[in-house]
Amino acid sequence: MISRIRYVFREMWASLSRNKTLTFASVITAAVSLFMAGMGFLVQRGFDNQLSEWSGGVEMIVYVEHGHVDGDPEVELIRQELESLDTVVESVVYCDEECATKEANVLFAGDPDTLEQLMPKIPSNFKVKPIDKDSGEVLRSLGDSFSQLPNVIDVQTPDEAVETLGQLRGIIGVWVFGLSILLLLVSVVLIWNTIRTAMFARRREIEVMKLVGATNWFIRLPFMLEGLLQGLVGGFTGGLLMLVTNNSWTDAVRGFDPDSGLAAMVVTDGYPITVWVGMMLFGGLVGAVGSLLAASRFLDV
Amino acid sequence: MIRLENVTKIYSTDVTALRDASFDVAKAEFVFLVGPSGSGKSTLLRLMNRQERPEKGAVWVAGRNINEMPDSKVPHLRRNIGNIFQDYKLLANKTVFENVAFALEVIGRPRHVIRQQVPAVLDLVGLGGKQDRLPHQLSGGEQQRVSIARAFVNRPLILLADEPTGNLDPATGEGIMRLLDRINKTGTTVVMATHDQRIVNMMRKRVIQLDRGVIVRDQARGVYE
Repeated sequence: MISRIRYVFREMWASLSRNKTLTFASVITAAVSLFMAGMGFLVQRGFDNQLSEWSGGVEMIVYVEHGHVDGDPEVELIRQELESLDTVVESVVYCDEECATKEANVLFAGDPDTLEQLMPKIPSNFKVKPIDKDSGEVLRSLGDSFSQLPNVIDVQTPDEAVETLGQLRGIIGVWVFGLSILLLLVSVVLIWNTIRTAMFARRREIEVMKLVGATNWFIRLPFMLEGLLQGLVGGFTGGLLMLVTNNSWTDAVRGFDPDSGLAAMVVTDGYPITVWVGMMLFGGLVGAVGSLLAASRFLDV
Repeated sequence: MIRLENVTKIYSTDVTALRDASFDVAKAEFVFLVGPSGSGKSTLLRLMNRQERPEKGAVWVAGRNINEMPDSKVPHLRRNIGNIFQDYKLLANKTVFENVAFALEVIGRPRHVIRQQVPAVLDLVGLGGKQDRLPHQLSGGEQQRVSIARAFVNRPLILLADEPTGNLDPATGEGIMRLLDRINKTGTTVVMATHDQRIVNMMRKRVIQLDRGVIVRDQARGVYE
């Protein structure tokens, strides 16, 4: 068993060093395509953060004065007023101060100064979801009257910018996804071609191996590992590039004017690392599958 | 050891490489397949190690019908069959030792077995002091000896040799035949395709003659006609 493992790794390394230029091209293509895919995920996440307050069809947010908690008569009064509009309102969800703090951390991730100023007095809020789009417009028109309720400090409805961002998210998502798939296909083809070239160069060796009784899996394995390694390195490099880009963007957003409206368009949690790991795994899988397909071509002896 | 029953091999509608071929080869027998180019000698050898499958008939090796053998079992069959070629099929970037060791390595033999068996077989074929040479540093006869060592290192039941003396001068060819004869005397069945009249007449072994895919003669202690 040990001699087989040693053989597989030795052959994989020999093949990689023989095919340096093609290997480099495959790794770079895989890295660029996975970088695009990874950035696509981060951009989507940035949009999600930016639109997090308004996710799930929320059309109005009623902010309650700091210091009130769920069950207080003041909070219950506001809830009753909102729920009484049962012909217009589908649901009313209360987000207490703990929940509101989490939201603020996301919304002001790119503007730590504002976040610091807000922190001690984060208000809780009610998120109001209308029955349909038309009732949403009715609801927004009622916004002013809700702001007159006791202990309500502000009422917000989504402005045009939020709606535009929502549409932009969809368009960018589709394009980035499409482009990533295309580039991934290119990298599969390139890895496939690299492995085929490597196998073609060693076709005599493969023929001898088959004639002395090597199994197809034994012959395939070094080539599969080679493809897997190319995909993994591509994913690692593309992911590294993505992390650097994300950090640069986050730093840039922190330098923007606080009113730029982009404070939430950053991803500062552990999500990029998760995407990076995913990119490496996916790159490895794509490389292994590509080389498996290529390897089968020369095994018919 | 080997049995062919009414074997027909057709490569395309107008090329029939073998037609209704039947014969038996006993254990430790030495058999020459003779005939002009294109008579079906190489096809017969390729049928015996499952590089080809016949359209009709059955090929039995060591008691098993290898046409019905699943693909996954073919590597195990081939571990019992050594192959020798006219063009040696040595790996140019590997030394003599590595070329022979390769046959053991790819079937998972442990390192200590390889270290033990390879020098022994190199001594047997007369290449004891040349294990670190590369193929291009050897003569044609020596390269063929490496090829024989690689085929025999796993002590196979059968050796299939396709024109092993085809690229060699007569004296070197005789040396190779003496080596194959020695291997045959250890109990290994040898089937050799050749159109080298001098060698067939010198060895006086069983001769199966083919003509355009048909067996026209099967003679014990035969000569080349």
